[in-house]
Amino acid sequence: MKYLKVTLILLLIPLLAFSVHKYYISLCEVEYIKEKQSIQVIIGLFIDDLETTLNNEHKKNFFLGTKKEAKNIDSYYENYLNVHLKFFINGKQQPYNYIGKEYDDDLVRFYLEISSIKQLQSLEIENSCLIKEFPEQQNIIKIKAKKFNKTLYLSNNNVKGLLNFQ
Amino acid sequence: MKKTILVILALVFFSPSLFAQENSAKNSIQKGHYNTSKFKQLDEELPTPNNQHNASGAPGYEYTQQQVDYKMDIILDDEHQKIFGEETITYHNNSKDALEYLWVQLDQNMRAPNSKSNDINGGGPDVLYTPSKFTKTFMGKPFQGGFNIDYIKDANGNSLNYMINFTMMRVDLPKPLASGEKFVFKIKWWYNINDYMADRGRSGYEPFPDGNNLYVIAQFFPRLAVYNNVKGWQNLQFWGSSEFALEFGNYDVSITTPKDHILNATGVIQNPKEVFTKEQYKRYETAKTAFENPVFIVTPEEALAAEKNRETKTKTWKFYAENVRDFAFSSSRKFIWDAMAVNFSGKTVMAYSLYPKEGNPLWEEHSTRVIANTLKVYSESTFEYPYPHATSINAERQGMEYPMICWNGGRPDENGKYNDRTKKGMIGVITHEVGHNFFPMIVNSDEREWTWMDEGINSFVEILAEYKYDPELFPLTKYPKNIVGYMAGDQDRLTPIMTQGDHLFNFGANAYAKPAAGLFILRQTIMGPDLFDHAFKTYANRWKFKHPTPADFFRSMEDASAMDLDWFWRGWFYTTGSNDIGIKEVKKYHITDKPTEQAKNLAKRYGITIDELPPSLYLISEDSTDYTDELKSKKPEDYSILNTYIQDNFSPEEKATLKSPKYFYELVFEKPGDLVMPIIVEFEYEDGTKDRKQFPAEIWRLNDAEVTKVFPSSKVINKITVDPDEQTADVDLSNNSWPKTTETKFDNFKRNQVKG
Repeated sequence: MKYLKVTLILLLIPLLAFSVHKYYISLCEVEYIKEKQSIQVIIGLFIDDLETTLNNEHKKNFFLGTKKEAKNIDSYYENYLNVHLKFFINGKQQPYNYIGKEYDDDLVRFYLEISSIKQLQSLEIENSCLIKEFPEQQNIIKIKAKKFNKTLYLSNNNVKGLLNFQ
Repeated sequence: MKKTILVILALVFFSPSLFAQENSAKNSIQKGHYNTSKFKQLDEELPTPNNQHNASGAPGYEYTQQQVDYKMDIILDDEHQKIFGEETITYHNNSKDALEYLWVQLDQNMRAPNSKSNDINGGGPDVLYTPSKFTKTFMGKPFQGGFNIDYIKDANGNSLNYMINFTMMRVDLPKPLASGEKFVFKIKWWYNINDYMADRGRSGYEPFPDGNNLYVIAQFFPRLAVYNNVKGWQNLQFWGSSEFALEFGNYDVSITTPKDHILNATGVIQNPKEVFTKEQYKRYETAKTAFENPVFIVTPEEALAAEKNRETKTKTWKFYAENVRDFAFSSSRKFIWDAMAVNFSGKTVMAYSLYPKEGNPLWEEHSTRVIANTLKVYSESTFEYPYPHATSINAERQGMEYPMICWNGGRPDENGKYNDRTKKGMIGVITHEVGHNFFPMIVNSDEREWTWMDEGINSFVEILAEYKYDPELFPLTKYPKNIVGYMAGDQDRLTPIMTQGDHLFNFGANAYAKPAAGLFILRQTIMGPDLFDHAFKTYANRWKFKHPTPADFFRSMEDASAMDLDWFWRGWFYTTGSNDIGIKEVKKYHITDKPTEQAKNLAKRYGITIDELPPSLYLISEDSTDYTDELKSKKPEDYSILNTYIQDNFSPEEKATLKSPKYFYELVFEKPGDLVMPIIVEFEYEDGTKDRKQFPAEIWRLNDAEVTKVFPSSKVINKITVDPDEQTADVDLSNNSWPKTTETKFDNFKRNQVKG
């Protein structure tokens, strides 16, 4: 009998006293498909928050998701994700393929894939997306692997979560 | 005798499950249980109706409500960012009870150095600290906020005893205040105004690089708590998140500011000639007939000139507001002011926007028009807007509502450029905050207790108002899909909507988006707009200028529509369950006049021969051993027993209208989700045409896990989809179609990406 052991120092950060109905949240769906030896990742971020972040970082205006958006925007996205979203499979950091992005209303969704994962014993995810500019940012990770469904809540207090599958 | 057998046969036929039950119940005694049906009435959750909140969800014949009137003199010290006030409060005890003391809310104490508001939050070190946050958190340099109370006296100048417990102050009365009596007392106070850009908060000031401040001042004076027969005194502490419960009353307020400030507030300016220049006053008056387009009261040029001043002389603005539950104001040298008149049955309501030049060109293009649109759409959904104006103030990073006035963020970049998203955010927040004039400023629910009652209901009407303003920017197709991610989340981090506002995970989704999505489903899918809109309007009109509770809303919606929605309230509002309905199995049947295996067994069981069965038709499944391919081509009228029956019993006209189903599909719907919802099913035929059927949620009342239905069809069905338009917040679409699609969202994206 295998148990899913969740090692998480999860700190609940209740939303601070703020009145605006906007909320700072991202959702990252991670699924391990054993037959394909692949980990499929879809992460959705609010475009306006990402734009603020990239604008500040590069000191320019990106006009994300509009006609004025730069042609090479994907390389900026990829660079940002590589710094702020990391996957450690069985203890070792694994790079991912940036498949592409899609805009959906207020959101931009990135499709990322980690291939050649024959065995999945542990999965550690570091997600610090948007936290620097938005300290209230909550990054939610939903993991579906080996019939387990688990949700991690990452925030300014803690940007890493680890799942052990043995 | 034969008749009896037939009756029994018929019964058994209709309920094949009887067999199973007989077998399983034989040897063990099953456990009993309470009524666990998802359709059980809500009587145990809702408070017992009484003469103040009656069983229909309306105010009862003995409904009472306190009234509190305020007369205040306020001084805004721009140089030191301080505010001083002297207020005379007249408390009218309209309840049947005698009161020994009054509870007064001191919201600013949340910012006092000894405030407990941060002590209730757990958490390790943050990843990063701004210098101001670091000194505040670790170096003993907290902001010196909170009320300083100079005195509390009765009308005769005698000091009154009081006790402060964090954000609540008990003022002891010299003698109990009898029913029908009033009590007059005075409070003098001051506090340091916070820089809300650094510390957050719904009020405070925004400093500009040019040295000017833009003040949005609210929760700024000691305010009476609500006393009623629901909570007694509503004196839950203000922890910073759950908003307010306040009584209605009249406000007579004078505010002294630097002479070059421009200000607007709750209520109507009583001395416009004194506070405006001659030209501004003229424009203020002519604006009252500007029904087509916004016009300036304070021009951009005047604002630009004013912001270079540092006037040391003062002026005093006088306001009067009738029947409001609160008072707030905003003041700055930087304000441009534009205005537009909106007509409500011959009564003129003013839409006002005040913004610094940094808000342009976005603000002069949209703010006032958005206010007008919001007032119109909300009025259609509820009642005509009763107040004289609605004002939108541009304050960065804000979105906060008070009677007649609200603060809204959203500005272009430093070059005056903005994209659709900035515009959308700004239109969205103005619609939302102006909409709050209806919920909770007028339909005055208890925000401290139930965040969803104002935020959720308001967010719902907001959807309709935004769509009206710009259908392309705010499409309705987003709802209720937008809530799926939240509802599919980890159950450990979900709370029912019916949870006090301070105890929620994920405030925004829980109290805003989920109730709004729920009402959207009710309107579009469960009740339909006609029934919903009338019931919703009934609720709003019953409770305008009163204090409704959740039960009043739930009961009114049912009372005015004759729809039993207890199952919906129970699932959507009282639990954290989610909806997942799918297709478990599809079986194809054809018609035959030969008894099927099941029919033979039935006859055997009752000791009769097959010939003794009444003349019947049977549906035979394609996977049955008796099935032959030739049955596929048979039409119902090919069978003589049916044909004879039709010839004998129907007129030629009737015959012409009879359908001729050839194919029979048995659909087993499964429901892994906790919620019950209507089943919406779409059939796609081989010729490409489509058909749709919707079953009420009550289809689940006797079996919460799965339900079977037989669909006759004259054409072959190629595809069946449950909830094709995603109207029911189904959290897992992978089981929604037949034949099953195995491709994940990721695979689909990748495939299209490679192709493209």
